[in-house]
Amino acid sequence: MGEFLGMFQGLASGFDIAFTLTNLTFALIGAVLGTMVGILPGLGPSATISLLLPLSFKIGSPVTSIIMMAGIFYGAMYGGSTTSILVNIPGEAASVVTCIDGYQMALKGRAGPALGIAAIGSFIAGTIGVLGLTFVAPPLAEFALKFGPPEYFSLTLFGLLMATLLGGGSILKGLIMVVLGLLLGSVGLDPISGAIRFTWGLHMLQEGIDFVTLAMGMFGVGEIFYNLEKVLKTELVTRKVTHLWPTLKDWADSKWAVIRGSFIGFFIGILPGGGAVISSLVSYAVEKRVSKSPEEFGKGAIQGVAGPESANNAAASASFIPLLTLGIPGNAAIAMIFAALLIQGVQPGPFLITEKPEIFWGVVASMYIGNVMLLILNLPMVGLWVQLLRVPYSILAPIVVLFCCVGVYSIRNTVFDIYVMGIFGVIGYILRKVDLEPGPMILAFVLGPILERAIRQALLISAGSPLIFFTRPISGALMGVLILFIVLQVFFNIRQKKKKMNP
Amino acid sequence: MIFSARIRLFKRRKSIEKWDRVTGYILLAVGVITAWSSTSLAMGKMRHPGPGFLPFGLALILIALSIALITKSWKREEQSVPFWPERGWVRPLLGVGIFLLYAVLLPPLGFILTTFFFLIIWMWGIERIRWATILPISIGVTAVLYFIFSYFLEVPLPAGFLSL
Amino acid sequence: MLKKMLVGIVLGSFLLLPMLAGAQEKYPTKAIELVVPFAAGGSTDVLARLVAKYAPKYFDKPLVVVNKPGGGGITGTEGVVRSKPDGYSLFIGYGSGHDLVTPHFQKMPYDPFKDLLPVCRLSIHSIVMIIRGDAPYKTMKELVEWGKKKPQVTASVSTKAGSVDITFQAVGKATGLKMVTVPFRGGAESVTAIVGGQTDCGGNHPSEVISHIKAKRLIPIAVALENRDPAIPDVPTFKELGYNVVAVGSVKGVAAPKGTPPEVIRYLAERFKKVCDDQEFVKSMKDIGQPVMYQNPQEFGKFLKEGFDQYGKMIKEFNIKLE
Repeated sequence: MGEFLGMFQGLASGFDIAFTLTNLTFALIGAVLGTMVGILPGLGPSATISLLLPLSFKIGSPVTSIIMMAGIFYGAMYGGSTTSILVNIPGEAASVVTCIDGYQMALKGRAGPALGIAAIGSFIAGTIGVLGLTFVAPPLAEFALKFGPPEYFSLTLFGLLMATLLGGGSILKGLIMVVLGLLLGSVGLDPISGAIRFTWGLHMLQEGIDFVTLAMGMFGVGEIFYNLEKVLKTELVTRKVTHLWPTLKDWADSKWAVIRGSFIGFFIGILPGGGAVISSLVSYAVEKRVSKSPEEFGKGAIQGVAGPESANNAAASASFIPLLTLGIPGNAAIAMIFAALLIQGVQPGPFLITEKPEIFWGVVASMYIGNVMLLILNLPMVGLWVQLLRVPYSILAPIVVLFCCVGVYSIRNTVFDIYVMGIFGVIGYILRKVDLEPGPMILAFVLGPILERAIRQALLISAGSPLIFFTRPISGALMGVLILFIVLQVFFNIRQKKKKMNP
Repeated sequence: MIFSARIRLFKRRKSIEKWDRVTGYILLAVGVITAWSSTSLAMGKMRHPGPGFLPFGLALILIALSIALITKSWKREEQSVPFWPERGWVRPLLGVGIFLLYAVLLPPLGFILTTFFFLIIWMWGIERIRWATILPISIGVTAVLYFIFSYFLEVPLPAGFLSL
Repeated sequence: MLKKMLVGIVLGSFLLLPMLAGAQEKYPTKAIELVVPFAAGGSTDVLARLVAKYAPKYFDKPLVVVNKPGGGGITGTEGVVRSKPDGYSLFIGYGSGHDLVTPHFQKMPYDPFKDLLPVCRLSIHSIVMIIRGDAPYKTMKELVEWGKKKPQVTASVSTKAGSVDITFQAVGKATGLKMVTVPFRGGAESVTAIVGGQTDCGGNHPSEVISHIKAKRLIPIAVALENRDPAIPDVPTFKELGYNVVAVGSVKGVAAPKGTPPEVIRYLAERFKKVCDDQEFVKSMKDIGQPVMYQNPQEFGKFLKEGFDQYGKMIKEFNIKLE
């Protein structure tokens, strides 16, 4: 009881700090920057935060600079959904899943509700996330520490296979794309041994293929090349937008998706590693399972947007937990914030809450405020983004291609990346023609390095025994569920085939 | 219940047998080449897997899957569908070509010029839009992109020989 | 003919004027890039950013930190090696694993001693062996006893074939344990691993684990240095414990590409020294577990060479191989 009291006191003092003019301004700056950066494919929150690190010293106060950087981080989660919905291009990995139903909704003229529910869902999830941060930070972070290489392997495998099994369409083709994605992920320097793989001497490929290049190539440019086959006159989609705001029915349909997504995102986001991506994936899978009309998924089911968007925002909030309680950054953007803290003389770790409570509570409080700000920023702006769709596709197409080109160029300042993106564009085009969806490939590409690292580390720890994936409790549980799913799916397939044979 | 509705996570297009077969062969080739080039990387042992470990295993799985794809396509009835109906390859080819041109011309001509011409050529060559629409859009978009990326985000864009 | 020559000389001298003017301007005339060839958040990155924070007091132009991770540090460093030797692109982290250890094992795209000029040393990140606070062993001795009964002892390290990895392999050989090093993606991840109990012990730099030590989650049981590390003065060295594993750890200094003019090096060394003498800087460094250990260019160069040879000796003595 006394603990709760202490937390409320802390939170109250936090709001005191967060409500100063300086901190509010910087929270706003961070949120706006983050949204912009999330919308622009090619620049991620990590890059932006690093650009602003020098500025953060000039600000002087550690609380203020983290408030701004946190704003950038979760702002990007809001913004990333915008391009996913409007033009089927994910702003970053966590928004890939939103493309699926989000874009379909846009094609049906329901871009407004999609963006709206994404914003609202993100807000609710973000708030739930910060609530979680407030009350359950320390014990939860301890649990996450138990996740070692075997657990990461099982979790990643789980995520990948779930995506294929639930993907519909040919499982065989889905698996092929997963394998291809994993192989593409291994191009470049092997992080563990330092060996160079599959680069054929091209120096530029040493770091591997950049995700954004691949994603923009396959999803963006590829889609445009594919659409060029059809002649202009028969417009592919009715770009009339019917409502700008989600209807009450939309809200009723999605509210559970949002709640579920928030919790899924929160728990998975605490884990150091691919928090936001995996949580959006799992959320989508879960929504499809529990849905009363699963056939809607892939065609514009609003839960397919509400769930994952909530999940990735909750995960973003949750990824602050290991940082602020254990002093362990869980991903690249958080690592920047971690560095910023250290430089300002703040040691993030278990002592942060006790030695420098103003920083912990100040940041937490500002995250509540930040979520409100982003909701306000994004909802009215929905109208603005939707206007974009009024532009005829024929004009939009070259602009999108250009955007991708410059975006991809801004990553490494080399034209080589534009060529690579072009190649993936052509590949994406051909893949669409032969009914091989790029989606699972991209997800596998992102999760591949995690998977490989995990399996190699796990085998080192277990001295070569694959049993480790089953004997450790968490990993064993995950593998168990996975095998259960596979068995059930196979069993069901056989039954279906038998049914076909004996009508 | 849950498994009965095998719904599409991703949009589904028609599956054509002949194309599947060709795809299968290509993937088979990819698998074999990958497996072969993985052997030059150290495999390591089970207790200490090397860099070749995963790629090789994946390549083997790919080979198995592509064989499955090929055999599956044999079982179904043949449907003869042209890969590119009605010269459908023209516009995509133009698109790819203009794209390539952009990448090639970007360093020598610089961002502003290349972007401007890209827009003009695309809109005129592929979409056949009226000049009255092309010009303002080309200028506008080039300016906006330049503003966002070069001025606001301070990305060093290629300047070309005119040093724009 | 004579007229043409005259015209040529006059025109030519006009071309020379800007060159002469350029030579007059004093270094530095614009911001100096400090390249960290590792990911942000790591110990080198933090050091660089801290230095950059205090630099404006003593440098005439700002220091800008740039991360260029990849290839275990080689990629970013190579970038500096190939840059113009005008003093505007410096490498910080000179003396890390990829300078002192990697060249013993693989061919490098540049020579860390011939292609780089030492500017000064800033700090040393020693290698300390840590165990969980709740492990069934509390000292090095107990760990060795416990480990002898096991088929293998796992140690989390930050990069494969980095300074920590090699040092731990040496420890394994020196103690007679079957030490298996498990590499992770950088210091932060390897700390997470040992805190979570994924491995039996871990190897890190003091700055990476100081907060955990304070919280008693992790216990440092030995450090691989000639003398005790001032940042963690209570931790015995491997030598004191009877194992001849001595190394310089990961040295953090600044380097400039070969050919950088000596006045530039002198300017940089002087100013960096001023930063290192700044009381606030020293305190900030101490708070994060990084000792300030300045050394001027000549001594630093010598120190590096000795460190390199020392690693070479260790590798030979314990017959360490890259798998």
